[in-house]
Amino acid sequence: MNTLKMIYGLGVVFSILSGFFIRLEHVVFPWHKIPSWEAILGVLGSLLLLVLVKVVGIIVNREEPFYD
Amino acid sequence: MIEPIPPAFFFLFGAVLIPLLKGKIKQGYLLLIPALALIDLLLLKPGTHWVYPFLSYVLVFAQVDRLSIIMGLIFVIIGFLALLYALQVREDGQHVAAFLYVGSSLGVVFAGDFFSLFIFWEIMALTSVLLIWYQREKQSLDAGFRYILMHAFGGACLLAGIVIHYSTQGTLAVGPLGSGLAYMLVLTGFGLNTAFIPLHTWLPDAYPEGTVTGSVFLSVYTTKTGVYVLARCFPGAEGVAIMGGAMAVYGVTFALLQNDVRRLLSYHIVSQVGYMVAGVGIGTELGINGGIGHLFNNILYKALLFMCMGSVIFSTGKRKFTELGGLARKMPITTLTCVIAALSISGAPGFNGFISKGMVISAATEQHNSLLELMLVLASVGTFLSFVKLCYFTFFAKNEAMEAREVPFPMQLAMVLTAFLCVFIGVYPQSLYRLLPFAPVVYHAYAPYHVLGVVQLFLLAGLVFILAKKQFTPHLGIALDFDYFYRLGGRLLLWFCDAALNAGRLGWQERCGRVVKAAVHFSRDPLWLTETAARYVEVRFHQGFALGSKHEIDALRWELKEVLKKRGEAYDENFYRRPIGIGVLLALVFFFILGLIYLKV
Repeated sequence: MNTLKMIYGLGVVFSILSGFFIRLEHVVFPWHKIPSWEAILGVLGSLLLLVLVKVVGIIVNREEPFYD
Repeated sequence: MIEPIPPAFFFLFGAVLIPLLKGKIKQGYLLLIPALALIDLLLLKPGTHWVYPFLSYVLVFAQVDRLSIIMGLIFVIIGFLALLYALQVREDGQHVAAFLYVGSSLGVVFAGDFFSLFIFWEIMALTSVLLIWYQREKQSLDAGFRYILMHAFGGACLLAGIVIHYSTQGTLAVGPLGSGLAYMLVLTGFGLNTAFIPLHTWLPDAYPEGTVTGSVFLSVYTTKTGVYVLARCFPGAEGVAIMGGAMAVYGVTFALLQNDVRRLLSYHIVSQVGYMVAGVGIGTELGINGGIGHLFNNILYKALLFMCMGSVIFSTGKRKFTELGGLARKMPITTLTCVIAALSISGAPGFNGFISKGMVISAATEQHNSLLELMLVLASVGTFLSFVKLCYFTFFAKNEAMEAREVPFPMQLAMVLTAFLCVFIGVYPQSLYRLLPFAPVVYHAYAPYHVLGVVQLFLLAGLVFILAKKQFTPHLGIALDFDYFYRLGGRLLLWFCDAALNAGRLGWQERCGRVVKAAVHFSRDPLWLTETAARYVEVRFHQGFALGSKHEIDALRWELKEVLKKRGEAYDENFYRRPIGIGVLLALVFFFILGLIYLKV
């Protein structure tokens, strides 16, 4: 399990470092210039969705059976 | 030379023979029909076929172009695979419903005029609901009724839009619509089938309640025909593109809240259809190609996901994440194919979703639509998280008590073949590019930046999942959606009909009843009625104008009471009837004699 975690961690580090060398040729938006932008988006997007799900969950989650 | 016929006819007329066949012959027949339809499709050449004059209209059953051919191909291919998956189903009705559903969807795809499109559209709604009702549970029946009510509303909007469009434009040809009321009504009708927010509620409500095999068909046809007609009639509509982005994010957010495996998949239909709608709304060649390409790929992996979760339900009888887990060793084929489908829908490199999702996002970028690009990428992150959750809590989470075994061979074969197609298109995207509406396709799916970007996105999102796994743990309960308001509206309508309208009706009925009763009461003795009225007026008159002493007024009152007691005593009905009867008799005798004299003369 620890080996798997280590491989995963190495994969994360390697992919982020690769982002400094592999860049988008046709930049359209300013954030396309940021190295490893997708990695940042992966973290921020996940956290944003997690918060969104928690907030929406407070409003919409109900015990079953609710409609009966 | 064999002349091709509209592909829809194979399924629509082929359904008739299903109840007459038995055993292996029936199973062979179920697979033969889609195979014949596929050959027919390959023979179809772009152009218009099967034009049929009806009243003063011209119906077109086979309007063939690159767009309808790619749609027809994927509909027939997945029809074959879904029927293979459903081969063990013994209920003929389910097969007949599935055939009619597939046939009517093909009818919509190849319809060249709005009239025949509408007819097939309605057959599609009516036959698809049977695949929900065949589950024969209370929830299925209820969800089916809500489904059909929503689709009846959508159908009514569509019909009204078509009528207005025809009366203003004078044409029924399926194509881009002008602006105005017809535009809005047709868009609402199409949007309902495409699961536009907030008209999407029928989808996550009904699809999880379908039969194990029926939900595979349901996941394919209704929403995709919606996307197809949007591509025909509303390409490049900016509002449609924004709706697509909103659907993509909304779908994943609600998917993450679900505890029911097939409800999670249903919300992902909303999300994935969002990508297609966005592509169509962008309207550029890359956008339309991306949207339709994503439709093609989505049909494969979404049907596969429904097959896998159907297999889990078939094998374990359980459908909640909180009850599942530990199936990876017990159902290896289902697990492997589900992981392939999960990677495909997430858009991992090497799988078909990677190709088309990238095309749609690139189309948004090319159009300088920053908001849409970010929404679609965010939805990508959510999709990945959702399917990590689905695979983990269904197959890999510890659950020693779970008992299950792999599903029958035809179901496994269908899953393996569908998974193969997902990988094949992912590895060899040219096979898809060749079919897309706008050729040649200028898009490099495996550009290094693109591949690295997706890898980074998934690795980091996966890291968040590992670190915050507890936050993604499913919980018991349900998540309310916009249908809460529709149900509330329904209850208000019911209350209005019952408490207001029905109570009013009962009140009036009672009042009218009293009048009739009084009329009947008095008509039994009309003489007494006039006498009573005269006495009553006399008493009131004397009282009102103080005429006479108290003693005299009391005497008048006593007389009135005496008259009231006498009802029916002095009145003999026959006494008044008799003269009338005699008069009529004399008249008849007179006319009889007159007749005799007349005849003699």
